[in-house]
Amino acid sequence: MFSVLMAVYKVLLPCALLLLAGSPMAAEKQASKTHRVEIAQMKFNPSSLSVRPGDTVVFVNLDVVTHDVTEASGKLWKSPPLAAKSTWKKVMKTSANYYCSLHPVMKGTITVK
Amino acid sequence: MKSLEKIKTAVLACLLSVFAFGSTVLAQGNPTLSDAEVASAAVTANQIDIDFAAIAKEKSKDTQVLKFAETMANDHRAVIEQAVALAKKLSVTPKDNAVTQQLKADAEKTKAQLRAKSGKAFDKAYIDNEVAYHTSVISAVKDLLIPETENEELKELLMSVVPALEAHLEHAKMIQHNMSKK
Repeated sequence: MFSVLMAVYKVLLPCALLLLAGSPMAAEKQASKTHRVEIAQMKFNPSSLSVRPGDTVVFVNLDVVTHDVTEASGKLWKSPPLAAKSTWKKVMKTSANYYCSLHPVMKGTITVK
Repeated sequence: MKSLEKIKTAVLACLLSVFAFGSTVLAQGNPTLSDAEVASAAVTANQIDIDFAAIAKEKSKDTQVLKFAETMANDHRAVIEQAVALAKKLSVTPKDNAVTQQLKADAEKTKAQLRAKSGKAFDKAYIDNEVAYHTSVISAVKDLLIPETENEELKELLMSVVPALEAHLEHAKMIQHNMSKK
C-alpha cells in the first residue's frame, strides 16, 4: 500500500509543479518588470509604453520645474507633485492615458497587455 | 576676453528676453552690462513675472487661470534658482542698473493695466499677455541667442529653457482658446 502511494506521489508531484509553473499567475509574476519614464525637457520619455499587468512604472523628474503624473480622466489616479529629481512609481493593472496637470501639453500613454 | 564679453551679452539678452517683455529688450538695444548687472536684471525680470502671477491669483476667480498663474510662479521661481546658481558660479553680486530699472518701470505699467481690470476682462488681459510674451521670448531665444552663444554651458542653459517656454505658451493658448468659446 505504501509503495503504491509513493508511486502516485512521485508521478503527481512533478505534474503539480509543472502545472504551477505554467499557470498564468506564475507567468505574470515571472514577467513582472520595472519600467522607467523620464520627465525631461517638458516631455514624458517614452511617451508611449507597453507593459504587462503588474509591471511597475517609475517616473523620474529630470526637469528643474515641478511636474505630476495624472490619469487623463483625473479620477482614477494622480501622483503627488514631483519636484526636481524626485520619483514616483505605480504598479499598472490597466491601460491609461496620462498628462501633467501643471503643464497640460505634456501627455503619455501606458498600454497594459 | 572677447569670448567673456560675448557670454555676458548673451546672458543678458537671454535673461531679459526670457523673462521680460520683448519691447523692453528692443528698447535697450544691445546694452553692455557687467555680470553683476546681468544677475540683477535676471532676478528682477523673473520676479516681475512672478508678480504678474501674484496679481492673477489675487484678482482671478477662474480655476484654470489660477492654476496657470501658480505654475508660472513656481516655474519662474525654479528658473530664478538657476539664475542665482549661475551668478554664484560666475562670482557676481547682483547690481541695480538701467535695464533693471526699465524692466521695473515697464512692469509697473503692465501691473497697473492688469489691476485696472476685473472679472473676465482681467483673465483675458492676463492670458493674452502671457501668449504674446512667450511668443516673442521663444523667438528671441531660438533665433538670436542660441546661435550667438559660444559657451557650451550657457548654450545648454538656453536650450533647456526653450521647452518650458513652449509648454507655457501652449498652455496659455489652450486657456485662451477655452476662453474664446465661453
